[in-house]
Amino acid sequence: MVDIALGTALAAIGAGVAIGFAGLGSGLGQGMAAAGSVGAVAEDNDMFARGIIFSALPETQAIYGFLIAILLLVFSGLLGQGSGLSDTAGIVAIGVGASIGFAGLGSGMGQGMAAASSVGAIVEDNDMFARGIIFSALPETQAIYGFLIAILLMVFGGILG
Amino acid sequence: MADGIATIISSLGLSNEAFLAIVLLAFVVIGAIVVIVATRPILDIYPYLHPNARVRARKGRLFDEKQISELVEANNIDEISNYLRGSPDYAEYLDNYTLDKALDIQLGETYDLVSRMAPKEVQTSFKVMAKKSDITNIKSLLTAKEAGLSKEATEELLVPTGSLYDDLQRLSDVDTVTDVIAGLDGTEYAPILEEVLPEYEKTGMVLPLESALDKYYLSKLLASSETPSDENKQILYSYVGNQVDVANIKLILRAKVDGLDYDAISPYMIDSGYQLREWKLKDLMEAEDVTGVISSLEGTKYSDVLTDVLPEYNETGSVALFEKALDKFLVNSAKSYSMKKPLGIGPIIGFLSQKEVEVRNLKVIARAKREEDFPISKIREMLV
Repeated sequence: MVDIALGTALAAIGAGVAIGFAGLGSGLGQGMAAAGSVGAVAEDNDMFARGIIFSALPETQAIYGFLIAILLLVFSGLLGQGSGLSDTAGIVAIGVGASIGFAGLGSGMGQGMAAASSVGAIVEDNDMFARGIIFSALPETQAIYGFLIAILLMVFGGILG
Repeated sequence: MADGIATIISSLGLSNEAFLAIVLLAFVVIGAIVVIVATRPILDIYPYLHPNARVRARKGRLFDEKQISELVEANNIDEISNYLRGSPDYAEYLDNYTLDKALDIQLGETYDLVSRMAPKEVQTSFKVMAKKSDITNIKSLLTAKEAGLSKEATEELLVPTGSLYDDLQRLSDVDTVTDVIAGLDGTEYAPILEEVLPEYEKTGMVLPLESALDKYYLSKLLASSETPSDENKQILYSYVGNQVDVANIKLILRAKVDGLDYDAISPYMIDSGYQLREWKLKDLMEAEDVTGVISSLEGTKYSDVLTDVLPEYNETGSVALFEKALDKFLVNSAKSYSMKKPLGIGPIIGFLSQKEVEVRNLKVIARAKREEDFPISKIREMLV
């Protein structure tokens, strides 16, 4: 059995939470946006490109979660040659994962709803595209906050640098 | 700090591993709660996303006020047909059918589409709405046979949509109304019509048969939405309930204009409506005249709608004024329901209501354009 320090094991949990919850939010959001887009494309073939744009929007939360998870794995020593983390740093790593994980969950779901609704509005009225993008981009901010705090926790919690 | 935490853990009599396990378990529980709470609203929204996008696409293709105005100003019926050929929804039917039939087919197909793609929890009501085409066709068949029309003339009246169309088409060559009802054996409409057949045989009028079909349709529609367990179903129940109440009020108003009493009206009523329950309907039917009916409606949401047009009715004596006001009420309430639940049933209800209005207005315009020099201002008045 591979010998893993407790701090590193906790960082692994943090990485799992980061991508797990962010991915869940992103997946649910993307599912909603895609369901709306398929309905729109079924009625109007020209909606395909715009449907793809709106369906892709909630992807970002999973990307943030993925990035944080990779950073945690690398800097905790699970990936590469780095040294293991202390117990305290390991607990910080769980906070890092929770930060982007839960923020990504809420953001992804919110963005999915806004995107699905925007697709419906655009297929009804073409002029709604720009406004739809703006409204759908709004829930992105929560994921950005979560991502920033996760980075700050890593920097000042002794994981990065 | 770490020492402090270690002291707390040891004072609880836990090993480091046991404490960590408890913390992780707590974390998992919190995570699970967050996921369940956060995803619950999505379960309500998700089934409506696909159908809503589709109906909103179709809603976007409905004619706006400017287009309707252009149609009203058309010079003749051919211009109307050509204009509608520019709409993908009507174009495919206009090549093979008359204008009125094309409009009916499109509306029937719309009901059918919505009934197929509506979420399961509300699908029953939309499936009942899709039966409208069958009921209209049965009525046409009964009227045609009562008038002694030939097979060809009867077929001309049928709209090729609805689940019973093929069967009804086969019934076009029967001779009598009784034969039509016998031919419907095995369908849900046979027992309804058989029940009032003696009345037809006595009076020779198809009106009781038609009313029985209308009553059956509206009762079934109301029953299909009668257990409003969530907000979507509540909105659907209100939408359907308004239609039932309005149908009852229209019937009573017409009857009062003709001077009919309770006994004559009650067989045609839907026993218990939405806002107008049995006792209220009894009050309305027992009213002396139209003014009495409107007074009895005080306190309901239909009161203001009818009171507003009462002075005009007193001047003209036209009950159509009330009917138009009630139709407008239905459209406006459907519009407000559609905004209540934009990620739920709202868009479906909003679209269906507006589609019905569009088809109805197009039929009004088409009929007016068939007349010589029909005044444009009069057409505008007739539009909902």
